Amino acid sequence: MHRDRITVEVIRNALIYISEEMGIALRNTAYSPNIRDRLDHTCAVLTYNGELVAQAEHIPVHIGSMAVGVKNTLEYLDKEGFELGKGDIVIVNDPYIAGTHLNDITLVKPIYWGNRIIGLVANKAHHVDIGGTVPGSIGGDVETLMDEGIVIKPSKLVEDGMFNKSLIEDLAKGVRTPRYLRGDLRAQVAALHLGEKRILELVEKYGVEIFIESMAETLDYIERYTLNRVRNLGVYGRYTAVDYMELPDGELANINVAIEIRGERINIDFHGSSDEVPYPVNAVYGVTVAASTYALKSIIDPDMPINHGFYRVVDIKADKGSIVNPNPPSPVSGGNVETTQRIADVVFKALAEAYPDRVPAASCGTMNNIMIGGVENTWAFYETIGGGSGGRPGLDGVDGIHTNMTNTLNTPIEVVEREYPILFLRYELRPDSCGAGEYRGGLGITRAFKVREAAILTLMAERVRLRPWGLKGGGEAAPGNHYVIRQDGRIETLPSKATVKLEPGDEVYINTPGGGGYGPPSKRSIDMIKNDLDEGKITIEYVKKYYGDISLV
Amino acid sequence: MRIMVEESMKGFRVGIDIGGTFTDLVALDEETGLITHHKILTTPSDPTKCFIEILERLDKPVKNISMIIHATTLGTNMFLGQVGLEPPKAALITNKGFIDVIEIGRQNRPELYNPFFTRPKPLIPRRLRIGVFGRLDYMGREIEPLDEDEIRSIARMLRDEADVIIISMLHSYINPMHEKRIKEIILEEYPEAVVVASHEVDPQPREYERAMTTVVNAILKPILSKYLEKLSSLLMNRGYKGRFLIMKSSGGVASVRNAVEKPAAFIESGPAAGAVAVAYVSRLLNIENALGLDMGGTTAKASAVLGGKPHIVPEYEVGGKVHMGRLMKGSGYPLRIPHIDLAEVSSGGGTIAWVDEGGALRIGPLSAGADPGPVCYGRGGTQPTITDANLILGRLPRVLGGGEIVLDRDAAYEAVKELADQLGLDTVETALGIVKLSNQVMMRAIRLVSIERGHDPRMFTMFAFGGAGPLHAAELSEIGVEEVVIPPYPGVFSALGLLATDFRYEAVKSIVKEAVELDDEELNNIFMELASYAVEKLVGDGVDKDRVTILRYLDIMYWGQAYHLTTPYRGDVREAVMEFHEMHEARYGYSMRDEPVVIVSARVEALGIMDKPSLPHSSIEEYHPRPKEEKDVYYEDTGWTATPVYHRNSLRPGAILDGPSLIISDESTVLIPPEYHGYVDEYHAIHIRRG
Repeated sequence: MHRDRITVEVIRNALIYISEEMGIALRNTAYSPNIRDRLDHTCAVLTYNGELVAQAEHIPVHIGSMAVGVKNTLEYLDKEGFELGKGDIVIVNDPYIAGTHLNDITLVKPIYWGNRIIGLVANKAHHVDIGGTVPGSIGGDVETLMDEGIVIKPSKLVEDGMFNKSLIEDLAKGVRTPRYLRGDLRAQVAALHLGEKRILELVEKYGVEIFIESMAETLDYIERYTLNRVRNLGVYGRYTAVDYMELPDGELANINVAIEIRGERINIDFHGSSDEVPYPVNAVYGVTVAASTYALKSIIDPDMPINHGFYRVVDIKADKGSIVNPNPPSPVSGGNVETTQRIADVVFKALAEAYPDRVPAASCGTMNNIMIGGVENTWAFYETIGGGSGGRPGLDGVDGIHTNMTNTLNTPIEVVEREYPILFLRYELRPDSCGAGEYRGGLGITRAFKVREAAILTLMAERVRLRPWGLKGGGEAAPGNHYVIRQDGRIETLPSKATVKLEPGDEVYINTPGGGGYGPPSKRSIDMIKNDLDEGKITIEYVKKYYGDISLV
Repeated sequence: MRIMVEESMKGFRVGIDIGGTFTDLVALDEETGLITHHKILTTPSDPTKCFIEILERLDKPVKNISMIIHATTLGTNMFLGQVGLEPPKAALITNKGFIDVIEIGRQNRPELYNPFFTRPKPLIPRRLRIGVFGRLDYMGREIEPLDEDEIRSIARMLRDEADVIIISMLHSYINPMHEKRIKEIILEEYPEAVVVASHEVDPQPREYERAMTTVVNAILKPILSKYLEKLSSLLMNRGYKGRFLIMKSSGGVASVRNAVEKPAAFIESGPAAGAVAVAYVSRLLNIENALGLDMGGTTAKASAVLGGKPHIVPEYEVGGKVHMGRLMKGSGYPLRIPHIDLAEVSSGGGTIAWVDEGGALRIGPLSAGADPGPVCYGRGGTQPTITDANLILGRLPRVLGGGEIVLDRDAAYEAVKELADQLGLDTVETALGIVKLSNQVMMRAIRLVSIERGHDPRMFTMFAFGGAGPLHAAELSEIGVEEVVIPPYPGVFSALGLLATDFRYEAVKSIVKEAVELDDEELNNIFMELASYAVEKLVGDGVDKDRVTILRYLDIMYWGQAYHLTTPYRGDVREAVMEFHEMHEARYGYSMRDEPVVIVSARVEALGIMDKPSLPHSSIEEYHPRPKEEKDVYYEDTGWTATPVYHRNSLRPGAILDGPSLIISDESTVLIPPEYHGYVDEYHAIHIRRG
């Protein structure tokens, strides 16, 4: 028994390494740049009944959504009377089951030892296009899930070791990039086989009973860890917060959260949030879990591994039919890129009451998605632009960076200019966009470009009307400010969600929000103000406005 | 200085490796083939001190030394903010509207979850990043001219503000005309300035990486020049007349003069030397593919040698943080300079074991290093380390370093017992747990440089070295390697690598054209230009022309891809493209033979081959040595087991050692567990196999 404590730890680490190795294999064999370069995928090991044991993390939105998605998939299979045979692999992308958006295709494979399923391996990858009304399948003027692309209910992609060719060909017919789809699916399958092989090696080495017991003990361990962590932080109570999404019709949609921290449980409840909306900004439950998990883990322990044991302590509730747990067929493609940021914000805001010394002020709160393509569909370019991170207890926010639920790389200017008819005018920090405070927020970014050919631009952003908030007396940051300068000099301001036609020579300016300030501006050290001024990060007008008449000599 | 020394006169060849904690020296008597070595503590505030001190330990007249090859971590230390190594005042000139490219970087954050993450400080303050008029398009065509008056007035302003001026303009890798003109104007107005333009250092696309590579080079220049000038003059004053060479991160060497020209190439030279040593000894032993595992006081580093050559990557980050063996992208400054691929994990002798809030036993990343060191060193360490665990299990002798450190087992036992009590385990089981977890972490590093790069560990032999590597080596073979080799001189093995390198220069030129648009004549002209640059460097370093080897490569990718693969070029671009498809297939499992293929750049690697020393060896006579004594050692399967102890320097080639055995020496301890067997080969390397 004694030695088992050590064996459990060795097996726990081994399962994390296996999920990582699956992730690397998937990246290396994938076709699409989205997976290869942006690492928009995840791999996991689960118990036979779909409880998450180990997961390789690349992008926060995937952690948490996997925990929900596989369990839902198993329940669906059970209800429909599917048996999971030895050589079977299940495919699903229905966000209402698998938990993100249609682009994310999840595959699940059982691992058999003899006649017994001893665990599962699963992965999820963002496919660049899954059909629907707009290239890339995200955003646009859509009213239902079906407008966003092909919906795959859980079905067998591989049955008894044989690919379901007609299923793959049906899928390939419905997307804009069939080659990527086939290639990336093959890569996903190969990664699962690798995971299975590694797990069987582990079972051979330690024996099946010790393996299964260790998986179970690993969940107990994270449960214990989470509980002790919460107890050691020693704060109990109920904390609430509200924040808002900006809808295309000019309305706001509220997201409410109540977080109840007790000695043995944390309940996160989104009761009171807005009803689902007829725009693609609904966040399926998996996304809500992912964003809540991200925020909670960041605050209670950024290094803490997450598995199902965490969810024994943390319960996340969202009313059916709300913007954070919509009913099918509400559209959801932007829930995964924008609403997810707001859910993280609102959870942070509530946690700031509980743990005031551990939570930063609001970050820019948006991924500033830009989709731009030729009018004749000859080219298409997608990017996300960072902003400011929130001011923190003891530290300023970070200038010009991706925050919270995303962390993808930018595309170098020299690469974009070579491949697309785009000429950049600016890529700089945006002075004065930070929230003032004892510790100021980070600066947003100005990214500006001119198109050399006619093009269609779609913007999906947030925080254009409502500013990122400060904490403990810190000021709000500047909101986003986006516009087009036409050839004749006219300036057209863009709302947070917009689609516009551009003529050659038109210039697009994207000014992303900064981060909120932390602590009262009056407590900021004169040296830090002077340094920001010296560095051109703030102007003298900003100093006067937010820090008053101070002597800068 | 112009004669090939190794041809004409025999003397001592000396490698000096100044690491963060220790400075190692290995000297080879070229006449007799005998090797001597020394190890002292590094003097971080002035590394020239320990350099001279260890040279004096050698106790040989300096004039008898024919060649000194030096590896240093000076560059890394500056980026880690070491006192006494403040970077010079520097300014950046770039396009108007783009002064923050070097601050925004790739826009990602190095840590996903930590709300208190920080980004590396921009090396140039924002007020000294100056945007100027003048813009080229992606073809290098001018779409906005320079404003020369503006540049003149900036240059005059910078006289009082900066000693080093970096120029990095968009698309200068295709057409450097603006950068060249800006440099001319600055030097006219401010002739004393150190001015470095990006096209001179790294003429490749991607503005952030090019700018940072240039910035790092430029600000290292004054520091490295000063240091090397001081060393050179100290050596000269002592009558040194041999050659003084510096090791690069790529595993090659260069003269001081050339080192100062591209200082960023020398940043990680110490760890690179370890991989070079593996390559060198594996060639002596006729081993084709080898993995290196260097377990020191703070970390363990894994490297891979394929076909006798260390695996080299084209880009890395200096000053970056490593998390579980992987560099956290964005935590340091990117450098596009060839670099030996290493995976580093927190598993050194001084790595601390602890119990986390979930009640699990964990190791690292904290380390007691060499100071205060493990609890058993009795130098003030209080937290149990991997070394303490090894001592409790009987896997270490009572004294280390030839008697310098007497190990205190009781103190180690007490420290590990505290963890054991928290875990509800027995102290010995806990010590075994610490060793097992550290082995698992090291296997992960090995996995990163083998399996994750697409190489099956079964194709490799593993070399284990560093102070602690030989103790854990056999158990690490579980990763799948058939055989583990403990080389001679494991404690100073990296420094041994310094004696076995070649001169090496690289040159690159950006092309970015579809393969079908290129003909071989055009490519040949480009390669001629690159080769003549590199040959000039080698000849300048005193290398004979007939010892020069030129290797030509093309960087190739599919249109639209973000990353390229590098394939050899043998005069036929179509052949290179075919090879690219095959390489893509092998590496990623597929190729796209109908898709347009882009030639990204042409690359030349120029080697000036040096004679490699042989290591002392003698003929093999198989025998079973008699142990000096027996010692109780704890093993997982057999518990406390009487284990014969041998002294390594008393073992002769041909010695056959059955597990369990413990082989001790001043440098390190080798463990052959039960069910393993070892033998000593002609070079005194110990080979260990299971079964």
